[in-house]
Amino acid sequence: MTHLELENLASEYLEGLLEPARKADVEAHLSECGTCRELVAELRGVMELCRTAEELEPAPWLVPKILLATVGARKPTLREQLAALFRPAVQPRVAYAVAMAVFSFSIIINAAGINLRNVRLGDLNPRTWVYRANLAGHQLYARAEKFYYDLRVVYEIESRFRRLGSQPSQQEKEAPKQGPPAGGSSDTKQPGSPQWAANRGLYLAACSLAGTVPTPSANNPGPLGAGRSSSQ
Amino acid sequence: MEQDLELLKRCLTGDNSAWETLLRAYTRKLYNLCYRFTGRTDEAEDLTQEIFVKVYQTLRTFDAAQGAFSTWLNRVARNHLVDHYRRTRKDRVTSSLEDELETLEEKPSVGTEAVGQVESRERKEVLQQGLNRLSPDLREAVVLRDLHDLDYQEIAQVLGVPQGTVKSRINRGRLELARVLKRMDVMRGPAKAGSEP
Repeated sequence: MTHLELENLASEYLEGLLEPARKADVEAHLSECGTCRELVAELRGVMELCRTAEELEPAPWLVPKILLATVGARKPTLREQLAALFRPAVQPRVAYAVAMAVFSFSIIINAAGINLRNVRLGDLNPRTWVYRANLAGHQLYARAEKFYYDLRVVYEIESRFRRLGSQPSQQEKEAPKQGPPAGGSSDTKQPGSPQWAANRGLYLAACSLAGTVPTPSANNPGPLGAGRSSSQ
Repeated sequence: MEQDLELLKRCLTGDNSAWETLLRAYTRKLYNLCYRFTGRTDEAEDLTQEIFVKVYQTLRTFDAAQGAFSTWLNRVARNHLVDHYRRTRKDRVTSSLEDELETLEEKPSVGTEAVGQVESRERKEVLQQGLNRLSPDLREAVVLRDLHDLDYQEIAQVLGVPQGTVKSRINRGRLELARVLKRMDVMRGPAKAGSEP
């Protein structure tokens, strides 16, 4: 085998593509020829260098750039479109505004007495809305008033007033026997007068509701009478 | 391969996501092929884009009976790269020496990088400089075989030449590259390592 023949077969020899007989010829030549051994070693070095060479990473913008050049700007998917559509609504202030609008709408609908499941033509008339809202307002007021008068506290106060209101008539019956006070005037601060009795009753009722001990004073028609303290 | 065909069918029906998948699958390989041909990253990017645009425009001409999509893609790329090489031959003669000097001057000091990284980077640069000095025929054969790991039959399909020619080109390309690298005094290490039993 000549040097030129070996040079032509060097790559195939290194890649193991030669037939056994040819390979034996090459190896026989290499065992005798130092120049060809060096050549084969250099060739092996080149192949090794190429195969261990790392691949380069293309720039990250290359694929989008090519996409833009081929299919144009990429169309967003349905999911991306929906996300873009609802992105403003996700903001807190918008969500708060929407919630308030829904709340106001529900109040108006409720006040107007409109049944959304069964909307009639008359329900669309604003006059009907005003009428129903007015009716609902009055009903609400009436219910609140009834609730107020049904309260035990209110009932107690009223009943005491009624009872106190009936006491002066008995005193008036007794008063002619004792005779009218000097001057004949009806002083409201004078113990025994009808007005004083009414004030005293009111005071006692308020004290019993508040759960406090009454503290009489000169100006206050206490339960023990003016000028007397509770400790005495 | 079947996955490529499926993606191609979807591309032809106007499915852009299929094209994107195909693009992402082959961009890196094609970019590296372009880089090995040109030796410049910016030029490789432009060429990669041009090739993909051409592929996209001629997708309907692909015939699965004549070979795999990757082979067809490589053939389109190779033709485009050869055209590019012919177009820019004059510019390259004047700029090659300047680029080489720039590359040598821009090397950072060893202290800034790990020794292994420097060696790896230097080996890459040296290999690229060696490839740049080969003729296009020999270079493309060596690149497709040793850097892209295509077999002889595939290379023959891509280059449109007989397998015997491919073998010859690869062998001559390697020998030429070995000589170039030896002149650049970088093959001493690997060559010695390779000669040891």
